[in-house]
Amino acid sequence: MKKSTISKIVLVTILVTYVATVATWKISGLFTARTGAFQPPPDSAIPAGKFGDVVRFGEQIFRDPATYAPQFVGNELRCSNCHLQAGRQSGASPMWAAYVAYPAYRSKNGHVNSFEERLQGCFRFSMNGKVPKLGDPVLVALESYSYFLAKGLPTDETAPGRGFPTLPEPPLAPDYERGAKVYAQNCASCHGADGLGQSSGGKMVFPPLWGSQSYNWGAGMTSIKNAAEFIRANMPLALGGTLSAQQSWDVAAFIDSQVRPQDPRFNGDIEQTRKKYHNSEYSMYGRPVNGAILGDPAFTPPAGTVTTGTDAEPFEAD
Amino acid sequence: MRQEGHWKIWVWRVSAVGTLIASLSRIAPAVADEPAVTAGYRIAVHGVSPERASCASCHQENGAGQPDVGIPRLAGLTSSYIAAQLEYFATGSRYDPVMSPYATMLTRVERREVADYFASLPVPEQPDLIPPNGATLDHGRTLFLDGDYHTGLLSCSQCHGSTGLGVGDFSPRLAGQSDAYVAGKLQQWQTGDLRDPKGSFMRSEASHLTQSDIAALAAFVSSLKGKEAGKP
Repeated sequence: MKKSTISKIVLVTILVTYVATVATWKISGLFTARTGAFQPPPDSAIPAGKFGDVVRFGEQIFRDPATYAPQFVGNELRCSNCHLQAGRQSGASPMWAAYVAYPAYRSKNGHVNSFEERLQGCFRFSMNGKVPKLGDPVLVALESYSYFLAKGLPTDETAPGRGFPTLPEPPLAPDYERGAKVYAQNCASCHGADGLGQSSGGKMVFPPLWGSQSYNWGAGMTSIKNAAEFIRANMPLALGGTLSAQQSWDVAAFIDSQVRPQDPRFNGDIEQTRKKYHNSEYSMYGRPVNGAILGDPAFTPPAGTVTTGTDAEPFEAD
Repeated sequence: MRQEGHWKIWVWRVSAVGTLIASLSRIAPAVADEPAVTAGYRIAVHGVSPERASCASCHQENGAGQPDVGIPRLAGLTSSYIAAQLEYFATGSRYDPVMSPYATMLTRVERREVADYFASLPVPEQPDLIPPNGATLDHGRTLFLDGDYHTGLLSCSQCHGSTGLGVGDFSPRLAGQSDAYVAGKLQQWQTGDLRDPKGSFMRSEASHLTQSDIAALAAFVSSLKGKEAGKP
């Protein structure tokens, strides 16, 4: 080998190593080597001053909406029940990934949604509550908290860690009976055999998965696919990945075949509402389970029940 | 501090023998068809063996325990939790040099009865503690309520409730439990017995804690008054 060739190789090697090292330095502050997911800042990085106060208020709402935004909350869920680690955990719909993915077109309502409008949907469906108006201090605080978590992340609707990790179709069709067994063995000790959650000192600790205090029929979690993906990656708490994909699909089918509050878009006709909003093999709305039709007003708790009397005027989006 | 606590525990354990001798004459025979709480009281206060001090000689008749030496308060815990711990001590899935022989001496029915007795007691007033410094308490409060995303620690409140009252049969009440006991148990969780399937969860949580985290959590937990949410 010629001397000049060797020196070229050495030079290229040094250059590549240098670039790689510098790139690693630059990136390591933002991303972990293990998961490749973005690392949101800790609470200690919340700035002092008025903006920091609003970020902190947003985190308080996020962890305990029934206390900090009671006028909009109609059940006993918390944002942080699904967005784990108060919206930081990748693979559990982290708020930093959501923040950089909006504005975005959503087929759910057929137009481009701002981030705040997306948050309204959470109150209307997942929280079975009332929708805060755009610009409401509650939405501004949640937006500020999400912005704080996303600091340093470029806008990107495909940020690694966004949403829940996709799950392939199961080998066997999701099954209610198998799901009931998975539930009894792995979920019931926390969420209760009746799925209604468990509380401590009058405050819900383990979230209700169905019944009047859970998410309503309009929530994304009523999709068996969404629930299966969330469960597979994150449940049982801190033991994500321990249930098989099949078990996750089965238990998701079991949970999403239970009674829960009405879809606020219900127009009086279950079949029409199913056709318009639940036209998917992943939704059990309008389907018969144990001899009853899910969504039947005869035994379905109402949508949007906020019992706290406040001056806030609830606003219904679309 | 911690070492001093240990020393106290041993002095105390030795002195328990004295209490035992004093209480020998009070050992009562089992009575047929006795209600569980009454039977439990008899076991707790009078013991079942002339060779051993009663439960109450360490945990007190009112279940308050001995906060300064880390003997846990039993009043405020659920019967199922206490009975489960006695079962673990008896079967060896949880080991303690003092508790294991005691639990082995009791039949399963007696373990349930004595658990019923302690669970039936009102939660005693907490002793006046010298408050830990504000920074320690704040650190403990943050770990307890929020966890630490960067170490992977989930909040304690996630399973024990934000006021530390515990959740039914799932997780024990922590509010007002003594600093020394909580710190000792958190250390034990890092390497000690798993007790039951939930133990692997506790071990993984404890593995995220440094010594100063443990001290802060113990201080915070013992400061909790265990009030119901929304009540003064």
